[in-house]
Amino acid sequence: MRRRSSWTLIAAFLLLVARPAGFAQDAAPARSPRNASYQLLATLDPESHTIHGSGRVIWRNITTVPANDLRFHLYWNAWRDANSSWMREQRLGRSSALTRRPADQSGSIEIISMVARGTDLRPKATFVAPDDGNADDRTVLSVPLDRPVLPGETIDIDIAWTSRVPVTFARTGRLGQYYFIAQWFPKLGVFQNNGEWNAHQFHAATEFFSDFGTYDVALTVPKGWTVGATGVASPVLPGAEGQDTHRFVADDVHDFAWTTSPNFVEHVERFEHPGLPPVTMRLLLQREHAKQAERHFVATRAALRYYGEWFGPYPYSHITIVDPVTPVNPDEQGGSTGGMEYPMLFTAGTRNWAPLDGSQPESVTIHEAGHQFWYGIVATNEFEHAWMDEGLNTYATARVIDEALPNKFVTVERYFGGFVPWAFTDVRWSRAIDGNRLNAYRPVATYDTQSTPTWRYWPGSASQISYNKTALWLATLERYLGWETMQRVLATHFSRGAFRHPTPEEFFAIASEVAGADLTWFFDATVRSSAAFDYAVTQVTNTPAADGFESVVVVRRLQDGVFPLTIKRTYADGTTDMTAWDGQNRWEAIVDHGPSPIVRVEVDPNRILMLDLNYTNNSWTATPQAPAAARRWSLRWMGWLQEVMLTYAFFS
Amino acid sequence: MKTTSEVVSAKPGPETTSEVVFTPRATALGAFLEGWRRALAAPAITLGVLAALFLMALPLGLALRGMLVEHLGPSVVAERAAWGWEAGWAAEFAAQAQGLGRTFTHEILGFGGTLSIIGGFFDAKPLPPVVAGAAAAYAVLWIFLSGGILDRFARARPVRTAAFFASCGVFFWRFLRLGVMVGAAYWALFAWLHPFLFGTLWNSWTAGMTTEREAMAVRAGLYLVFALALALVSLIADYAKVRAVVEDRRSMISALGASMRFLRRRPFRVFGLYLLSALASIVVVRVWFTAAPSAWASVPVAFLLTQVYLLFRVWAKLAWMAGEVVFFQGELAHATYTAAPLQMWPDSPAAEAIENLVSRTR
Repeated sequence: MRRRSSWTLIAAFLLLVARPAGFAQDAAPARSPRNASYQLLATLDPESHTIHGSGRVIWRNITTVPANDLRFHLYWNAWRDANSSWMREQRLGRSSALTRRPADQSGSIEIISMVARGTDLRPKATFVAPDDGNADDRTVLSVPLDRPVLPGETIDIDIAWTSRVPVTFARTGRLGQYYFIAQWFPKLGVFQNNGEWNAHQFHAATEFFSDFGTYDVALTVPKGWTVGATGVASPVLPGAEGQDTHRFVADDVHDFAWTTSPNFVEHVERFEHPGLPPVTMRLLLQREHAKQAERHFVATRAALRYYGEWFGPYPYSHITIVDPVTPVNPDEQGGSTGGMEYPMLFTAGTRNWAPLDGSQPESVTIHEAGHQFWYGIVATNEFEHAWMDEGLNTYATARVIDEALPNKFVTVERYFGGFVPWAFTDVRWSRAIDGNRLNAYRPVATYDTQSTPTWRYWPGSASQISYNKTALWLATLERYLGWETMQRVLATHFSRGAFRHPTPEEFFAIASEVAGADLTWFFDATVRSSAAFDYAVTQVTNTPAADGFESVVVVRRLQDGVFPLTIKRTYADGTTDMTAWDGQNRWEAIVDHGPSPIVRVEVDPNRILMLDLNYTNNSWTATPQAPAAARRWSLRWMGWLQEVMLTYAFFS
Repeated sequence: MKTTSEVVSAKPGPETTSEVVFTPRATALGAFLEGWRRALAAPAITLGVLAALFLMALPLGLALRGMLVEHLGPSVVAERAAWGWEAGWAAEFAAQAQGLGRTFTHEILGFGGTLSIIGGFFDAKPLPPVVAGAAAAYAVLWIFLSGGILDRFARARPVRTAAFFASCGVFFWRFLRLGVMVGAAYWALFAWLHPFLFGTLWNSWTAGMTTEREAMAVRAGLYLVFALALALVSLIADYAKVRAVVEDRRSMISALGASMRFLRRRPFRVFGLYLLSALASIVVVRVWFTAAPSAWASVPVAFLLTQVYLLFRVWAKLAWMAGEVVFFQGELAHATYTAAPLQMWPDSPAAEAIENLVSRTR
């Protein structure tokens, strides 16, 4: 204890001496309000899997109302026992394997001291459960103040805590000597103008929300271990008794995550592109993935370039890519820490055998790098509107992959315990379907209204609604408005929302403003509704008439979702006709008179409506090819079945 | 077939109480080659098995075809699906499909399909009920055919259809009884050994493991152990069948005992033959790895390639069985160890077995 205290003093001194060399952002004006800043010292003890932390939280009330209390997130208490709301929700709609983990794999966070204005705040602090009233949930700490923090006033809170690092839960934790440490310190909620804290409990289906600030963090780990973190690193300070202290500083970020391991292989490259600021890219790679370094850089470059060109430049000078340890036995070791975003740092994720024409690690790397924009810079409230980050990013990821790495990706499945990949080279990645994940959305299309706060989504389908439905309606909007307009919508949203917490209504308003048309109907149909979409051609008749043929086409709306469409008819003489339909009525009949019969009908021929769950029934042709297609694929399937029978009967 | 007499066994018999008898010793390679020769010499059996396989898959194939036609309807999408794999449509179809239709995914395509089948088997992934039913039905058919096939290979000469099916009938109920016992052993392997290997041991050995390469090595080792266990049971079952046919055994318990005694006395050669046969099957699969048709291959080409691959798989299995018959006969067959007499004049099965033995030792 004494030893730790002395190191804490030394580290505190170092923090005060100077900011890291090359920390160019120092002189730059603040981009964000910087109203929630943290100066932290932390020491990792790998023997006990414990982090001893201390430091100062500096919070300024930027609202117009006084704050009578403070609210801190203690996220790791979600894994203290099986009674937290996170655990209950995990059991409810997701895999329950994580809820059965032994006690020695659990995580927790405990406040040792909390002092502000010379007063010990701990005695009055209580755990609250604002979302579900769960008395066993200890993820939100309410700390009453003797005197309110007035608008514009700043309060410093000196704090010390201990965190127990769990075996991986929710992309945080340890595996062997690999540590990924996120949501690890007492973090303030967001105080709002209504006088209330926006500090939700830790839920299974949502991520995080916090204010911007400056982070200055000293991390002490065993000597020789590599550390990656949010921010820019200063030179490592050797410590006594086998420890090193690493210091990272970041301005205008709203979170801080870090990783450490003695086994990382470090690569550094630089992103440079005309019109965009340069970025130092630091890759911390697992040894067994050594050959995939360039794939990570290619993907990160693609994200920085296209997100930068389309939406706005990446404003930080550094980005760190962490290649996490792959859990070789996910049931026992928990999920991966891979595929998660934090400011200026993200975890990618790959496997030992990653086919060159497969999508990993590129897709996950582009996606997580893309979060720097929609989560890191435009800091939306992911507890309540996760779609504003995840959905926008899923849509943008698909677009970047399509642009930067076209015609490359094929479907890859993994066999023999997940270790042996096989690339189905005939099944190519499709931006429209796979990129926006129509197939994952389809079975849960009506499960939740998207405007429902995300933490209230059914945990088992939350991601499909947040990620996939959003990506699909954004793709629909792109096809409806055109890419140029869509790009301006997102760029405007980015520029106005940067370093703020924009709301959905702001996004909707920007979309209408940029499109030059009121798009309320669109967001009513998609975001504010759980309706599904399915249009179909149900009847086509050609009757000989005096002037040639009378052709009748009947199209139907089979689900509740409404969207304007076009109906294309092709006649035997090769001519075509298009009719716009508002899609409102349950059915519409179109009667044509002409010299030729109709030979082909297509509803939404250009597939504008990506949310249409069954596109096959959108068309009709006078010369059906279904028998030929069915013959082809049923014979192929029979060959597969014969092989199944032969294989399983081998032992009979 | 190797015919040297370096192994000498003293077999006290009623007439030769103290006489030393030199018996020829079968070799794994010799039995393997002779097995292939006998399998190749029985094309009707190979084609028959393949035809049976096809005919058993046909009703389900027709049912699936009906589902596909119904879902595609008169759509424009069908035009693309008739040409090549239409991933979007296939997923759409799978989303609304029930039962059989749910198995129609891109995992039926080419060598990926083979990998998924074998991987699923070794990972004990349950088959969809309809497919499991089809596999079970084929297994029963195979049990029925096994008696006739082994008898045919034991005789090493063509038999008539009636004789073939007579043998099938004779041994069907015996093999069914045997199947219950062997099935119980397989069930134990999947119900107990598999969870122990890939649950208890796997979890324990990989709990702190952080590199995939090490984990893959562990898993490969566990697959090897499981495969060996499967091989052991199948070896015992195989030679029980061989002994049942060649020695006309009625008791399947005694056949199993006889099989185990047989294996115990010559484990290396028996296992060597098993490995050679397995290797032949692996070679067939390896060729398929290269030759499997793409999704865009024409219907006749894809169908032909698939059936040729399945033909070789069937052939390899038949040669495997024939090799075991040959090996057994090479070790133990003589006038008192032979196949059941066929109701055909003038052949005497005993004479036939002796003739076979003589021809091999010439």
